Amino acid sequence: MSLESFVQAAINGLILGLIYVAIAIGLTIIFGMLRLVNFAHGAFYAIGAYTGLVVADHLGFFAGVVAAPIVVGMLAFGLDRVLLRSFYGKPPTAQILVTFGIALVVEEALRLIFGGTTRQLAIPDWLNGSIAVAGLQYPAYRIYLAIAIIVVVFAVWFFIERTTYGLIVRAGVRDRVMVQLLGGNVEAASTLIFVLGAALAGLVGVAASPIYSVDPGTGFAFLIPSFVVVVIGGLGSFWGAVVGGIIVGELMSISQVAFPVVSDVIIYVAMALVLLLRPQGLLGESEMIRG
Amino acid sequence: MKRQTTSRGRFIGGTAAATALAFGSAPYIMAAPTKEFVIGVNVPQSGSYSDQGTDQLRAYQMAIDEINKAGGVMGVPLRASVGDDQTKADVAVDNARRMIERDGAVMITGGSSTGTAIAVSALCQQMKTIFMATLTHGDETTDINCHEHTFRRYNDAHMSARAMANELIKRYGTGRWFHITADYSWGHSVYDNLTAVVEPKGAKTVDNVLLKLGTTDFAGALGKAQAAKPDVLVITEFGKDMVNCLNQAATFGLTKSTKILVPLADEYMAKGTGDNFDNVVTTAPFYYKYHAAHYPAAKKFVDAFMARYGTPPSNGAECAYVNMYQWKYAVEAAGSPAPAGVIAKLEGHKFQATKGPEYWRAWDHQGINSVMVMEGIPMSARFGDEWAFARVLHEVDGEGVAVTQGQSKCKIESA
Repeated sequence: MSLESFVQAAINGLILGLIYVAIAIGLTIIFGMLRLVNFAHGAFYAIGAYTGLVVADHLGFFAGVVAAPIVVGMLAFGLDRVLLRSFYGKPPTAQILVTFGIALVVEEALRLIFGGTTRQLAIPDWLNGSIAVAGLQYPAYRIYLAIAIIVVVFAVWFFIERTTYGLIVRAGVRDRVMVQLLGGNVEAASTLIFVLGAALAGLVGVAASPIYSVDPGTGFAFLIPSFVVVVIGGLGSFWGAVVGGIIVGELMSISQVAFPVVSDVIIYVAMALVLLLRPQGLLGESEMIRG
Repeated sequence: MKRQTTSRGRFIGGTAAATALAFGSAPYIMAAPTKEFVIGVNVPQSGSYSDQGTDQLRAYQMAIDEINKAGGVMGVPLRASVGDDQTKADVAVDNARRMIERDGAVMITGGSSTGTAIAVSALCQQMKTIFMATLTHGDETTDINCHEHTFRRYNDAHMSARAMANELIKRYGTGRWFHITADYSWGHSVYDNLTAVVEPKGAKTVDNVLLKLGTTDFAGALGKAQAAKPDVLVITEFGKDMVNCLNQAATFGLTKSTKILVPLADEYMAKGTGDNFDNVVTTAPFYYKYHAAHYPAAKKFVDAFMARYGTPPSNGAECAYVNMYQWKYAVEAAGSPAPAGVIAKLEGHKFQATKGPEYWRAWDHQGINSVMVMEGIPMSARFGDEWAFARVLHEVDGEGVAVTQGQSKCKIESA
């Protein structure tokens, strides 16, 4: 493996990792704050991708990028109010069954509406092309996507850590009754967190669809590695998801070039090692949003 | 701390259980068994090759409906037992076994991968059931892994490589070739055949990156290709994997800087890659636009398929459709669906369906029919028909490019 190939693979890994970060952050904040194991998270990614495709067809790429998280957020709001709210605090098995069921229903609904054909969102000409990175010509869209994800991740962190709503949610995780007695609306804040996490998945769905083709089952392809990210980083840990995402992205990318034979399993080996050596995940103990 | 540990254990256990749920499914049955012939239709409806599997399923349903409307096979109606093989050999074998043992299937058909075809072929041989393989392109299906009960009409990699040989040598012969290859029997078979054709003519293989079926991010392999600056990039990927790979290759600028070769493509892959398929050289056994314009039976099939489904048939769908009618012919000619008679009637059988004259070779059960060598065209040249993805460069006679008995390792059990 030449130095050039390694640098290339490392950049690829960073960008792939950031995509997983953005998906996994939604998973981890929903788990960390609402104690909900959300297997419907991949479905939000898929809905975002399809919404983006439909809207972009008529109104252009950016309209698609804006519409996807809004539509997914609205659906998540409805889902939370009608169904999921009653599963908060229930055993994880019940949560897994209901969210997995939602994922299956969404997948089949997408197949019914859009058919099973693979689709891809076209990159606008001005976002296309390549940029010189570390002496290599690299696809410009991937760079812009990485920058956008970094901005979004910090925005989410700021919201959770620096706003009143974020404070209510974090406090609500520690002692729900006390926050309510103090006049904090924990239920509204919880819904907001769920909607935010889902919208984030929808945003990644549309933003990544110029790179990864979209089909009704597309959500599952990202769901499982995202759970691996969360487990490696630490359940409920915001920065754990960031660290875990980048580790998973780098492992997948570098192994694909250097040791293709193990690229299929390496992230699961990493997850097993983390569970053996540090069961709470890499940053599972020291984070502010962990319950 | 204790609470969190418990949650983690349950969470991980639940993750494993849900993963198993996600990737395991049983075939479903379209009707209860009665006096009928059950056909086991085993196609991928999920995973990387689901577009191809779903389109095959459409063709099977159309053929079965047509046959039943015309009185069935020897007056007996057909019923399909359908399974999603997920392009996984173990799932495909489980499905086929259930179809034979539980549903009484007299023939198994379908598939979109050589890996599943080889596995199902071995099972069908063991269970003495006819297997009309559909979308399998690797040589092994009718070469080293050939079986008495298996017939494969689809072109193989040996045929595709030899059919393309002149075009490849004319365009790329002495250049530096970089391969991105699906890491299973089909990918290896295509790679072996292509290098066997072009390397003696001066082509130099720079690298061959093997990637598992279902890879979504090809950036690592494409970055390596970009650094190697090859003259030719060979993408031996199929279905969604090929769509992702070629579209990502375009974002790396490789479609402009490098000549692209996709050894096997179909309408879904070309549609999914749009303008990125422009100038790509490829092969296929059937192309609806060309065949409908040249063969009346193909036009009738394509028109009926489009009227029923609103989309043209992919080459896998065409093969599925013809496979059903070939089995019908053999059963009626033999007077029974019993495998021995069906095999005897198919071996050496000459016929013309949706292509030119073709036949089933007796010693390896490979269908000998033409190979289309094609070149992709941009969306702007498709004149509103986004499926019309290519111009035909050559229709190559299958006989001249198929493996010979002397070259083949096939030893049919009864031969």
